[in-house]
Amino acid sequence: MSWIGEFEEELRRRGVRAATRRRLLDEFSDHIACEQEVRIELTRLGAAREIAGQYAEELATDETRHAALGGFAALALAAIALLVSQAGLGRIGYPGFNHGTTTPLAVIAILAMVVGSQLALVAGTLAAWRALRRRREPTLPSAEIALIQRRTRLGIAAGLTTTAGILLYVVNFVNVLPAWWLALSGALAALASGALVAAWRTNARSAATVSLAPGPAGDVFDDLPPLRALRAHPLRLVTLATLTVGAAMTVVVWHAEHSLIEGLERGGFEALALAACFALFGRAIGARR
Amino acid sequence: MRAEALKGHLDGLILATLKDGPAHGYAIAQALRARSDGAFDLPEGTLYPALHRLERAGLVSSVWSTEAGRRRRTYSLTRSGGRTLDERRSEWRLLSSAIESVLA
Repeated sequence: MSWIGEFEEELRRRGVRAATRRRLLDEFSDHIACEQEVRIELTRLGAAREIAGQYAEELATDETRHAALGGFAALALAAIALLVSQAGLGRIGYPGFNHGTTTPLAVIAILAMVVGSQLALVAGTLAAWRALRRRREPTLPSAEIALIQRRTRLGIAAGLTTTAGILLYVVNFVNVLPAWWLALSGALAALASGALVAAWRTNARSAATVSLAPGPAGDVFDDLPPLRALRAHPLRLVTLATLTVGAAMTVVVWHAEHSLIEGLERGGFEALALAACFALFGRAIGARR
Repeated sequence: MRAEALKGHLDGLILATLKDGPAHGYAIAQALRARSDGAFDLPEGTLYPALHRLERAGLVSSVWSTEAGRRRRTYSLTRSGGRTLDERRSEWRLLSSAIESVLA
């Protein structure tokens, strides 16, 4: 097989997209033709498979970082949609659970907004943080690339859950809340959903390029050095996080609603949700092995 | 000189070559070899991943042209690439002078 043929086959095997392959093949064909013009018999290009592999690894690294940062930007839009809708509700007053079209829909919408937003914040921030921390390295290990992609995927999925929650809330309380709030919240949530879908596609495209670069993936303890002492004790980490979040939410709601019972209910819910998310997604985001 | 020894410096060397004017991949490879008196005998194929990486980072730009019936991609240094080259030069001068003082 010719050098170019072997190069193309490896690029294809590594999932490099057709347009990028075409460009590289044209450049290498020109290079080889130049060499033949000056009668250098032995091509100085190097091993075709190695160069194609190096290219795929750099491309996968770059696209993954780009997708993580793009995902974070889309999540920021979702956060704006949530904050604006909640600030608006704060001004006009929250409707009761049972004042909308159906109570189950209201519960689902609120759960989606509360849990989705927190999961999106954690996963999306960890993905972007790692992409930024390792932005100067041309090639990351494939395990590291996979970790960033998983965090980005989870962050975007949670962001979409949040925006879906806002839209469900709008639909459920369409006859109760003012038109300006419905239009503003609905439009912002739809806009953020569009950005999140685009970010999802970018992340999926980056995952199509195959990197085989050796090396381990980092974990959440590399991202947050003060937590390194807990690396060998993930249960202690989740206990600490659960207690901190639960206690903080209890105090905030107790103060806001002037009711210790309500504070304990909300704090208990947040603590349970965090523990459940850790059990379900801890491995995916590199919080436990 | 082995390609391994150039690791970490290839991007700066390419930027320095493009400082003299736009060039295509083969011309960059020849310029690198000529300017180093043949010391930089790296596999030329490794230039292209580096050129694409520099382009994604906005340090070089490129355009297609046709030469003797072949498509040719010509690369140029961008303003940001020029600034990066200046930074790399300063870093290299500091590093080489420090290494020289230790080794001498």
